[in-house]
Amino acid sequence: MLETRGLSKRYGAFLALDRVTFQVRRGEILGYLGPNGSGKSTTVNLIVGLIDPSAGSIWLDGVRMDDDPIAYKRRIGYVPEEPHLYTHLTAIEYLMLVGRLRGFNEQTLGEKVPALLKLLLLWESRYATMAAFSKGMRQRVLLAAALMHNPDVLVLDEPFSGLDVTAGLLFRTLLRLFAAGDRMVLFSTHRFDMVEKLCSRVVILSHGRVVAEREIEPFQEQATSLENVFVEVTGQEDFTPVAREILDLMQA
Amino acid sequence: MTSTISARWRQVREGPEGRLTEHFFRAMFDFGFLSEIGADSFTRVVVGSVGGLIALGLVLTRGYMIKYAVLWRLGSPERYRLALTGDDMLIIGLPMLLVAFITLLVSHSLFPDERDFRILGPMPVPRMVVFRAKLAAVFLFTGLFTTAAHVSLMPLMLLISINPWGEHTVVSRVVAWVISGAAASAFAVLAITAIVGVLVLVLSRSGLHTLSGMMRSGVLAGLVVCLPLVSHLPALGRSLSDGAAWMMFVPPAWFLGLQRVLQGSADPILVRLALIGLGVFLIVTFFIAAIYAVLFRQFERLMLRPASMSAPWFRVPRFVTLPGATPAYRGVHAFTVITLVRSQLHQGVLVGVSAIGMGFLISLLGARFRNMPLFAPFVLMYLCGLGARASLVLPMEYRANWIFQMTEDQATRRDQLRAVDRVVTRFVVGLPVLVACPVLWWTRRADALIVTVVLALVGLVFVHAVLHEWRRIPFTCSYLPGKRFIGHSVIFGFFLGLLFTVFGGVLAGGAASGTAPAIIIIVILSTLAFVLRRQRLALWRDSPLMFEDEFPDQLQQLELQR
Repeated sequence: MLETRGLSKRYGAFLALDRVTFQVRRGEILGYLGPNGSGKSTTVNLIVGLIDPSAGSIWLDGVRMDDDPIAYKRRIGYVPEEPHLYTHLTAIEYLMLVGRLRGFNEQTLGEKVPALLKLLLLWESRYATMAAFSKGMRQRVLLAAALMHNPDVLVLDEPFSGLDVTAGLLFRTLLRLFAAGDRMVLFSTHRFDMVEKLCSRVVILSHGRVVAEREIEPFQEQATSLENVFVEVTGQEDFTPVAREILDLMQA
Repeated sequence: MTSTISARWRQVREGPEGRLTEHFFRAMFDFGFLSEIGADSFTRVVVGSVGGLIALGLVLTRGYMIKYAVLWRLGSPERYRLALTGDDMLIIGLPMLLVAFITLLVSHSLFPDERDFRILGPMPVPRMVVFRAKLAAVFLFTGLFTTAAHVSLMPLMLLISINPWGEHTVVSRVVAWVISGAAASAFAVLAITAIVGVLVLVLSRSGLHTLSGMMRSGVLAGLVVCLPLVSHLPALGRSLSDGAAWMMFVPPAWFLGLQRVLQGSADPILVRLALIGLGVFLIVTFFIAAIYAVLFRQFERLMLRPASMSAPWFRVPRFVTLPGATPAYRGVHAFTVITLVRSQLHQGVLVGVSAIGMGFLISLLGARFRNMPLFAPFVLMYLCGLGARASLVLPMEYRANWIFQMTEDQATRRDQLRAVDRVVTRFVVGLPVLVACPVLWWTRRADALIVTVVLALVGLVFVHAVLHEWRRIPFTCSYLPGKRFIGHSVIFGFFLGLLFTVFGGVLAGGAASGTAPAIIIIVILSTLAFVLRRQRLALWRDSPLMFEDEFPDQLQQLELQR
């Protein structure tokens, strides 16, 4: 279980986050919902260890993050809100870099990286630098980088911004299957529809404080929803096998 | 009549073509890697440098006053003519070099590009207007610097033209110089534009970015290396008078020929030089006209061509990484090398500063001091070190560094920084040794090997200075310029370089003087290099990486009296 206890972050006189406490249980996708400026990204940055809290702590499976931050970070996968990447690299070069920083040997990388690129529909663009990528393509590279080391926790900060319908469907299927494998997903967003479609529980944040936390009824996809109509008329495939293949590849 | 011209001018200036020309002209001051504030301040620096040029011209004139006073006193028209030939080449060559530098700096703006295509394409502006405006902006921008360079050299031109032998009237010389000098500078602009144009036409979008960056760095290095050669132009008067065949390959000599022909000379050597100059000028002009025509006709196809579908031509070769290197080492090493190959800014800084060292090396070798080959490689080494540090410290997509922050690990940090150490060592030690080897072999024969060994060992010690308190993954740390007063940094850097060169040269000379001193010096340097490297590795193992640049702890206080 991932847990934050009384997490606060202060920038000078400004209190960005005020004693935030919540848990992400195994097997669940937790929606972290709030308007712009409510402190969602600050929480995410604290959870992935990019900034230090002013007060409070983060725990993963009963171990405090500060006790062994390196071991903690090895178990986290992160997809940031903005696709901040080294755009002078190609997707292969970037994934190789991330893989090497995560300690993969060349042989593993040589197998994993091309396979991930193919599954995430980036293989055709493998030789282009990411400067030429759309936002959706960059998000897919970031997702591949986040999943590569088979993390226990996936932290996503607005991952659907800029994704086309196809990639969005693949992402959703992948997240469901990822969480179903007894792992945790923290899904930070300001989009209610995504939370309703994906999450089993939601924490609502306002002005840096948790103002609500509740279970979500399983969302029933309407047969006549515009998205379903789109999938039907454009002959989109079922993404479950692809998502399963990605998860198998992660664990390989 | 006047009001009609004025109205017409206003119409052009306020019309789309005038506005676009103004826009393109302003864009030439934006090199793509400066922020808005940085670009503004750079514009002020560029405009200020025009004033600096004029001051430089006056200083040069002051120095030449002494030379020409002596020539007058000698009373020999022959010696005056020889000196004049060399100096005429200098005052043609200097503006050529300056304008070539400037054109290279704005090489990204010489042709309408994809951004112009996407932004101006949907607007009701004919393509012809866009192309004309771009050409006009290039013409204005380079014209500004050509004019500034010639204005700054005008006092010198007047000074050397006045002579007691009535060779030519001052007016005829000035007119001929202005025409030939402008043609020479235009040739420099056209030559660089032609290289860029070929790349624009033949390369894919992704290849264009990398290769045009490398071209820019290569030409920059060539121009910097040319600096000492230009300073040798005044000494070439005799070679030209004797009709040396190699003068046909010296571009300023072509335009000197043109200048003299315009003054009425019928000397066959000068006429031939003038014809070469005119011929080359016309060829390059036609070449660029053809490039513009192809680009104009194929604009959509060239701008919308897909990114390359073939493997990138550059990959980090396996042999440049250590066999058995850890993944962390390989990761940082590949990232550093690829960035240096692809980023125009980082490559430009590295190559530009190092090329100054190469220029020094060439000019010092030309000096008539027997021991110069001992000292010259240390100048190159010092500047390679400065270039490497300056390049690695500059951030690249600073906000993408979260991946290094998230994966920082005490167990692998030392390996990551060892990769930086390796890149720096190859550049700071390997390159100067590689360049100095043949020079030392040629000039010193017997003790070349021992001097090369000392050079390499001093380099290994110097790497420690280059990586002083280094705790960054290259290009990932924020950068705060202006931590020291720039004048202070330049003076400090200059004297440090001087000290390093003298110290290195003395050590090399000492080692070359006998076996016993050689052994002592090599043992001391080896031990020092070994100890310093161990210190570095220990620091890297124990200290966290740095992602935020810091101001020095101790701020210098002015201690003003109350």
